[in-house]
Amino acid sequence: MLPLMEARDIAVDFGHIRALDGATLGIHRGETLGLVGDNGAGKTTLVRVLGGELVPDRGHISFEGEVVTFHSVRDAHALGVHIVYQDLALAPDLTAAENLVLGHEPLLKGFAGRLGFLDRAAAARETQLRLRRLHIQLPNIEEKVRNLSGGQRQSLAVARGLTYGHVCMLMDEPTAALGAQQTAMVYSAIAQAAASGVAVVVVSHDLRQVLEFADRVAIMRHGRVLAVEPARSLGVREIIDIMMGAVAPSSVDLPHDSSSRGNDEIRDID
Amino acid sequence: MATTTGPQTASPNQRQRMVSWMLTRTSVFWVALFLVAIVVIFAFATDGVYLRFTNFKSMATNASVLIIVSIGMTYLLGAGELDLSVGANIVVAQIVSAKLIVGLSGTTAEVSSRVYPNLALGLTVGFAAALLVGTLIGVVNGLLVTKLRVNSFIVTLGMLGVLQGMAIGLTGGVNIQYIPRQLQSEFAALELFDIIPALVIVMALVAGVGGIVLKRTRYGLRTVALGSDRQAALRAGLQPDRHIVSLFALVGFCCGIAGLLDVARFAATNLGGHALTALSSITAVVLGGTSLFGGAATIVGTVLGAFIPVTLQTGLIIIATHPAWQLAVTGALLITAVSLDQVRRRRNL
Repeated sequence: MLPLMEARDIAVDFGHIRALDGATLGIHRGETLGLVGDNGAGKTTLVRVLGGELVPDRGHISFEGEVVTFHSVRDAHALGVHIVYQDLALAPDLTAAENLVLGHEPLLKGFAGRLGFLDRAAAARETQLRLRRLHIQLPNIEEKVRNLSGGQRQSLAVARGLTYGHVCMLMDEPTAALGAQQTAMVYSAIAQAAASGVAVVVVSHDLRQVLEFADRVAIMRHGRVLAVEPARSLGVREIIDIMMGAVAPSSVDLPHDSSSRGNDEIRDID
Repeated sequence: MATTTGPQTASPNQRQRMVSWMLTRTSVFWVALFLVAIVVIFAFATDGVYLRFTNFKSMATNASVLIIVSIGMTYLLGAGELDLSVGANIVVAQIVSAKLIVGLSGTTAEVSSRVYPNLALGLTVGFAAALLVGTLIGVVNGLLVTKLRVNSFIVTLGMLGVLQGMAIGLTGGVNIQYIPRQLQSEFAALELFDIIPALVIVMALVAGVGGIVLKRTRYGLRTVALGSDRQAALRAGLQPDRHIVSLFALVGFCCGIAGLLDVARFAATNLGGHALTALSSITAVVLGGTSLFGGAATIVGTVLGAFIPVTLQTGLIIIATHPAWQLAVTGALLITAVSLDQVRRRRNL
């Protein structure tokens, strides 16, 4: 089956550091893909390339089978591809509602709209709707983001991603600042989005969680994607062995009962 | 948990909101109070001369040019940039405008006997040129800042020198003569209802449009977003470089308006003028509550803030202190304003 989006043989250099070194990854509609790897494996860089923020030094991205060039996130946004950043990428002096619509601001109808006048009521409605779907309560959506808690900010960033990543949502550690209950809300929202056909990529350090929610798991090491396997065929132990370079992916035995065995190791990876 | 909204988390939120409300809304109140204090002090110091209606009218007129420049400066500071070249920009706009008005309104012989057969042409081209030159200088500033990735402080400090040199070079150091006095009698000296000077009306228009665009439009929102977090704005799909260039162009356009108003008001150019304008303008904007580091901007604050350097400078002139004291006082005010901004930011974090 033709993937929705594919990154092929991507290389990215930051000065002398090679962050990606021939990474290849295909993402399908309606799937949830967990992207894992040790620190520095290139997960975030790959997400930034797929989302249009970084132009790769080598390789290309195709979208629905056609090669596309993303010059900036704007090109990716135009295709419904959106990144939820680990550092959230919110403007602290803007309100929650202003942050949600920034870059996609609703304008008034008619002449005033053509002059660039904001439709603040529509922005408020959209924000309320998106937050309600995530079961997030903000004391006041006209509150400046600098006055929100870490969890509220992260929820807002996820709500942004769900709003604009209606074709493909790329999430970098989306639950890092969230508690258990809120994390469950985010994963249920991800599942809903995937069920409606959105391709979702989630970068996470929490391997147990990844195995729970993901359809497939992509394992990165040293700037490459070493293996992409169905989550149900993997255990935490196998993932760790591949991402730490203990075994080559082809030689991995995939016993189905091993997921509990490796669980004690997870903290070491974090 | 952080995302719940129980009473425990609501109360510090409310307190923060109250503090930030006091610091933003009431900064307007404190500026107004400060203004009243200045007026009262100078009323006594000048035996009431300061309180004459003509003095208020002249202060409002003086403030108009400063406010127009400061409207543009409010946007620029709100986006986290600044422009030190505004004074020199105004002078260059004056010179180009005045040269074209004098040159196109009649032959040298006609103009030197104050006959202007083509006055309409001269004024149209001269005024358009002031706006164009001011805007172009702004665009150059903006392109240097965004393309060369040089800090706007350095770029506009350099531009200040370039423009001051140009002003002398273009005129040979001599102010332009034979500017039609009709500009004063038919425009700048006019008063609506015999009370409100024409310049004040122009200022009110610019401030009104500036305030509405800042609060109600996408352009205003994106301006503040850029000042709040440049990278977040980029990641939200904004085009920071283009927007920054447009903001410098906007400041330049405001300088162009200021330049043509100067020509109309004095029927003269002033090569040595506007030495204090950049300093006064940044002082006015920051005193009004716009952050020097971007992310917060208010036009109402700027309009009130601009009256502080103007009322002080006028008072100092009336009590006949040495002009150098105006510079000293304005400098001290800027330092005060920036300290207040720092306090505001610290409370906000």
